[in-house]
Amino acid sequence: MKRNALVFVALFVAILAMLASGKYLDRYRKHGPLNLVGDVKGVPAPDFTLVSLDGNKVKLSDYRGKAVLLNFWATWCSPCKVEMPWFADLQKQYGPDGLAVLGIAMDDSKPDAIAKFASEMGVNYPVLLGTDKVSDDYGDVQYLPTTFYIGRNGVVLDKMVGLGDRAEIEDNVKKSLNTVYRPNGPPQAEAQVKPTTKDSSKDTSR
Amino acid sequence: MRRGFLLGALLLASMAWAQMMNDQSPVVMAPIGNVQVRAGGSKSLSLDFRVGSEYHINSHTPKSPLLIPTVLKLTPPAQVTLADMKYPSGQDMSFPFSPDEKLSVYSGDFSIETVIKAPAGTALGSYPVRGELRFQACDHSACYPPRSIPVQFQVTVVK
Repeated sequence: MKRNALVFVALFVAILAMLASGKYLDRYRKHGPLNLVGDVKGVPAPDFTLVSLDGNKVKLSDYRGKAVLLNFWATWCSPCKVEMPWFADLQKQYGPDGLAVLGIAMDDSKPDAIAKFASEMGVNYPVLLGTDKVSDDYGDVQYLPTTFYIGRNGVVLDKMVGLGDRAEIEDNVKKSLNTVYRPNGPPQAEAQVKPTTKDSSKDTSR
Repeated sequence: MRRGFLLGALLLASMAWAQMMNDQSPVVMAPIGNVQVRAGGSKSLSLDFRVGSEYHINSHTPKSPLLIPTVLKLTPPAQVTLADMKYPSGQDMSFPFSPDEKLSVYSGDFSIETVIKAPAGTALGSYPVRGELRFQACDHSACYPPRSIPVQFQVTVVK
């Protein structure tokens, strides 16, 4: 009897695993691998080239040496509207220290409509037009807003899903600014955070 | 024999559960039985939906053109027509992410009404009506991309 129960449980688990892997493989065939799933801390941020609202091509790797706040959002996402003015403030406050906020609009709206919305939100940072590929590369971004904090070394320090707390967002920005940049090195396998000092937001590594 | 039955039941149950976990929708539709309508007559039909307890979706008439409305699209066969689709009014609600803003939403149960008509002389028989409900859901702190769920029922034209 005990053996039968074990067999049933094993079968149950096996079927779940098959269904889950089938779903993953189906998605893999359509879009390629999902890179940033699960715990993303310490993982090199996947590079991308996206078109900005003003028509320029923007590469994430062009921002190496800066701390990047990468925010996925959409015009139909009401919680996203709350964060965007905060990000604009943070860009203004910490931009001179090396912060680069990048918005990725996961939107079917036309660029004009996205630009109008961003302007109404006071956005003062580049807004890029999102693609399925960048969504998949960042772990199949389904919930919006989703924000990645990337250190100067190109490594993801943290990921925040859903509307965050402003103080928590600012803490993550400070952590990103406090990372070490090695100009000629590849993205580090693990984030290297400088010890926090009294004036931790000032960067001297550039 | 008994063991085989148990094993089969367990297999089916686990597959159904796994499928459900893989494809949880914030909105589900209540099943509709066979809808009967007389040839030359009409019948009102209520399509009932349930929004999961932690979610809300935009109503058919959200307060901003940027918000994605809930829309039911049905494609009837040539033998019957659908008319007078009526959406419920949205509830004006505010949420923790924006306490000062009211959004027009559906939450909990809501129904969309329509009328099925079978012209006189319609061949008696059973006809499928297919379509989809498109909506965009959010919870208290995040939003999901717009998605659709299938809507399907059978209309039987009788004398």
